[in-house]
Amino acid sequence: MTKLVEALLKQLKDNSYRQYRTKETESPILYPVDLFGFNMGCGKPLKGADGGNVSPNYKRIITMGFDATRKELTESISAAEDEAKKEYGMRMLEKLDECIRVCDEYRETVRSNRRLCNALQNVPHKGASTFYEACVFIKLCIYFLRIDKAAHLGFGRFDQYMYSFYENDKKNGVTDEEIFETLEAFFISINYDSDLYTGVQQGDNGQSMVLGGFDKEGNSMYNELSEMCMRASLELNLIDPKINLRVGKNTPDEIYVKATQLTKQGLGFPQYCNDDVVVPGLVKLGYEREDALNYVVAACWEYIIPNSGADFPNIRTFNFPLVVNNTLHQKLNLCESFDELLAEVDSAIKCESDRLIQSVYGYAEKNQPLLSLFIDGCIQKLADMWRGGAKYTNFGCHGAGISNAADALAAVKRCVFDEQTVTKAELLQALESNFEGFSELRNTLRSCPKMGNNDAEADDIAMHLMSVFSKSMNNRSNGSGGVWRAGTGSAMEYIFTAAKCPATADGRKASEPYSSSFSPSLDVKTNGLLSVIQSFTKYDMTDIINGGPLTLEIHDSVLRNDIGIEKTAQLVKLYVELGGHQLQLNSINRERLLDAQKNPEKYPNLIVRVWGWSGYFNELDIEFQNHVIRRCEYLG
Amino acid sequence: MQGCVFSIEEFSVYDGPGIRSSIFLKGCPLRCSWCHNPEGQRSTAEIVRSPNGCIGCGNCINSAEKKNGETVFTLESIKNCPKGLLRVCGEWMESGALCEKILKNRKLLKNGGVTFSGGEPLMQSSFLFECLAGLKGQLHTAIQTCGFCGEDVFEKALLSADFFLFDLKLADGAQHKRYTGVSNEVILTNFSKLAQSGKDFVVRIPLIPTVTDTAENTEGIVKILKENGVSYAELLPYNKMAGGKYKMLGREYRPDFDEGMTVNIPKEIFDKNGIAFKVL
Ligand code: SF4
Repeated sequence: MTKLVEALLKQLKDNSYRQYRTKETESPILYPVDLFGFNMGCGKPLKGADGGNVSPNYKRIITMGFDATRKELTESISAAEDEAKKEYGMRMLEKLDECIRVCDEYRETVRSNRRLCNALQNVPHKGASTFYEACVFIKLCIYFLRIDKAAHLGFGRFDQYMYSFYENDKKNGVTDEEIFETLEAFFISINYDSDLYTGVQQGDNGQSMVLGGFDKEGNSMYNELSEMCMRASLELNLIDPKINLRVGKNTPDEIYVKATQLTKQGLGFPQYCNDDVVVPGLVKLGYEREDALNYVVAACWEYIIPNSGADFPNIRTFNFPLVVNNTLHQKLNLCESFDELLAEVDSAIKCESDRLIQSVYGYAEKNQPLLSLFIDGCIQKLADMWRGGAKYTNFGCHGAGISNAADALAAVKRCVFDEQTVTKAELLQALESNFEGFSELRNTLRSCPKMGNNDAEADDIAMHLMSVFSKSMNNRSNGSGGVWRAGTGSAMEYIFTAAKCPATADGRKASEPYSSSFSPSLDVKTNGLLSVIQSFTKYDMTDIINGGPLTLEIHDSVLRNDIGIEKTAQLVKLYVELGGHQLQLNSINRERLLDAQKNPEKYPNLIVRVWGWSGYFNELDIEFQNHVIRRCEYLG
Repeated sequence: MQGCVFSIEEFSVYDGPGIRSSIFLKGCPLRCSWCHNPEGQRSTAEIVRSPNGCIGCGNCINSAEKKNGETVFTLESIKNCPKGLLRVCGEWMESGALCEKILKNRKLLKNGGVTFSGGEPLMQSSFLFECLAGLKGQLHTAIQTCGFCGEDVFEKALLSADFFLFDLKLADGAQHKRYTGVSNEVILTNFSKLAQSGKDFVVRIPLIPTVTDTAENTEGIVKILKENGVSYAELLPYNKMAGGKYKMLGREYRPDFDEGMTVNIPKEIFDKNGIAFKVL
C-alpha cells in the first residue's frame, strides 16, 4: 500500500474526506467527492429513488466524452421527425447540458490536486485517455446519476471495459504499481458519501463489480486488471465495490484460491456466478448469446445485461411459504393423498404467478432521460430506456423461502400422509395457534426431512416447486416489451415478507425469517456443507436464472491457513462443477458476532454479508444482525 | 454390527489430504488433560445440555434420574426443555448404514476421502474394520489415532486403511502417564510398526503450553521421529476454546497446566534436526 493510499484510507475511515464537500475547501484528494449531492441536499441525505439496478454503459460515455455524446444526440434530434421523440431528445439534452455546466463549475473549484485538475481539462468534455481520467469520469457520472435519483448502479465488467485504458497507460510507460495506486484510490473513493443517500440498510448501494468470465470460444477473460481488482479489494478490506467473480468449469484452481483469500477477509465476497449455467439460462429466456455472454449482476445478484438492458429483475417476489401455507389451510382437509395436495399447491403457484404478472402488467419506471443516455439505443431511438429505448425490458420475480416451503411439504407428507402420526386437524390447529401448546408436534415437524441434507424426500419437493414456478413465470409477456424470469432470490423479503407469514408446517413460527435466498431454512441442522451443495445443485438451474445465491457460512477457523483456504477453494470448484449457479460464501465467527452485539464499540470495522450486499454489523437493524448470527448457529 | 458415533463432519479440513468427511467414534482410552473433545471420551451415548440460551426453568433436572449421586438426564429431559437445549450425544449406527451415509458424498470426496477419528477410533476396532471393509475400493480411508491399542489391532488397522494420522504427545513415559493417564510404551511400538509398514502417514503433535511445547519434550519427540525415519510433522497449537464443551457434559474442565501461557512453537529444534513442519 502506498503512502497516498494509506492517507486516503485514513481519511475515509475518519470521514475527514467530507470536509472537501464544501466548495471553499480545495480538495487535495485524488477523486472528486460528492459535493453535487451535498449541495443539493444541503448536507442532508437525499431521499427517494427512481429506477435503476441496471449496468450503464460507462465505457461508451467515458470513451466519447460528453461533447461527442452531445453531438450524437443533437444530430439524432434534428434527424427525428416524430415530435414526441424530438421532445424526449431535448429532455436528454437538457440533462446532459446540466451535467456539463456543473462540471465546468466544479473544475474551477479544484486547484490543489494537480492530477485531478489536469484530468478535468479533458474529461468530461472529451473522452478519457488514461486509466486515471477514466476513473475520474466514472466518478462524475455516478454522482450525476445519483442526484438524478438513479439508484443501485453497478460497475459491470470493470476489468473488461477498463482494460483498453490500462493497456494504453502501459504502452505510455506507466507502471503497474502506478495503475494499482490509481485503482486503489478509486476503490476507496467509491466508499465516500454513502451518508448522502438513503438505502434500505447502510451498505445496500448496489455498487457491485463483476470480474472474469469467458468469451464465446470459452477463453477465460480474467486479465491483469481483474487480478488487480482482486488484490486491491483484499488489501483495502472495504465494503465497496462488492466483487462478483464469474467462473466456470475451466476456471483454474489458483483463481479460486485467490478468491478464497478474499472470502477470508469476512466481507462476504466474492460472490461466484457460474457461466456454464447462467449463460445458457439467459439464452433460454430469449437473450442473444452475445449479450448473455456479457452478463453482469445487478445490485445484489440478479443477472442483467449491461449497456443495452433495462431489465427490472426484482419487481416482484413470489412468497413460497405463504402460498403453501394458504393451500394447506384451504385444501388439506379435502386431500386424500399427498399427490392431491401437491396438485393443489401447483394450482396455487400458477394462480399466484398470474396474479403477480397481472399486478405489474405493462409497468414502466418513470422516465429517466439522464440514465437513458447511458443505455445503448436510447440516443438513436430518442426513447426512454424503460419505454423501448433499451434492448431488453424483462421482469424478474424472486422466489423467496423455497426451502421453507419444501420443508413444510416434506413434513406434511411424512407426518400426515406417510406415517400418519399427525392428523390434518391437529396440524392446522397447531399452525393456527402458532404452535402454542403444540411444542411436541412442532418438534416432530422439525425432525422431518429438510432441504440441504441431500435427502431426496425434501429435495424432490423443492425441485417440483421450482419447476412449477419457473414454468408459470418464464418467458411470459410482461406487457412492457419483455418477458418474465423466475429466480431463487429473496432480498430483504426473507425478513419483511416473512414477518407477515403465519406459522408454517416446517415448524417455523409466525413472523420468523425465511432462509436467505436459496439456502437451507434457518435453524435447520444440516449434515454439512457437502450435503448442502448437493441439495442445492440438483435442480437444473438454467431454468430459474433470475439470480439468488446459495449462501454458505464457513467458520473463520477453517480459513486460518493455506490448507483450509485451498480446500475451501476446492469446495467452491466442486459446487461449480455440480452445476450450481451462484454462491455466496461468508467467513464468520458466531462468538465474535455475539460479542459485537453486546459491545459494538469494540467492532467498528466488522463487516458482514447481509443479503446481496455487505454492511457494517453495527449499523444493521437488530433483526438483520440476529439473522446473520442464526445463520451460523450450527457451525462448529 | 453397531458402533457409537458422536459426530459426522462433512468437509473437515484438517483431517487428512483433500476434501474429507470425518467420522467421530465414541470412546477413548486416554484422558488427556487438554482434551477439547470430551464428549468423545466415554464409550456410550450420553445426554448433553448446551448452556447457551438456558432460561433456568429446571424442567430438565426435574425429569432427571439420580445415579450414584450424579444427575443423569433422561429422554424426558430432552423432551421437556422448552429451548431444545438437550440432545443425545452418540448415535448407535450399523456399519452398513454409516457407509451408505458416507458414500452419498462420494462424488465430492473423490480427491479426498473419509477419516475415522474420535475419541480413539480403534477403541471400537471391530466396528471400524467393518466400516473400512465396506468402503474399500470406493473411497480413500484414514484413521486418526493416538496409537494406544493392542499390537494385533494396530497391525490389522495397517492392513485396513490407506492413511494414518498418528498423534505423538509426550516422549517421556512418566510424563505421558501423568498428562494422558496411560504410558506411551505401546504407542511407541505401534508407531514403529506404522513407520516400517510403508503406509502413508502424518505425525501430529499437539502443542500444549508448558507440557508438550517445551524444549525437552520437543527434543524427545524429534528423537523418536528421527529413529523412525520421519522427516515431517504437523503441529496443533492449543486453543483456549478447548474447555468449551465440558459444561455441556456437566463436567468441569480442569487443565493440569496454565492455559493462559502462549504456545511455544519449537521451530529451532525442528529446523536444527532437519524436520519439516506445518502449524495447523
Ligand atoms: S429445561 Fe432447558 S431451559 Fe430449562 S433449565 Fe433445563 S436446559 Fe435450561
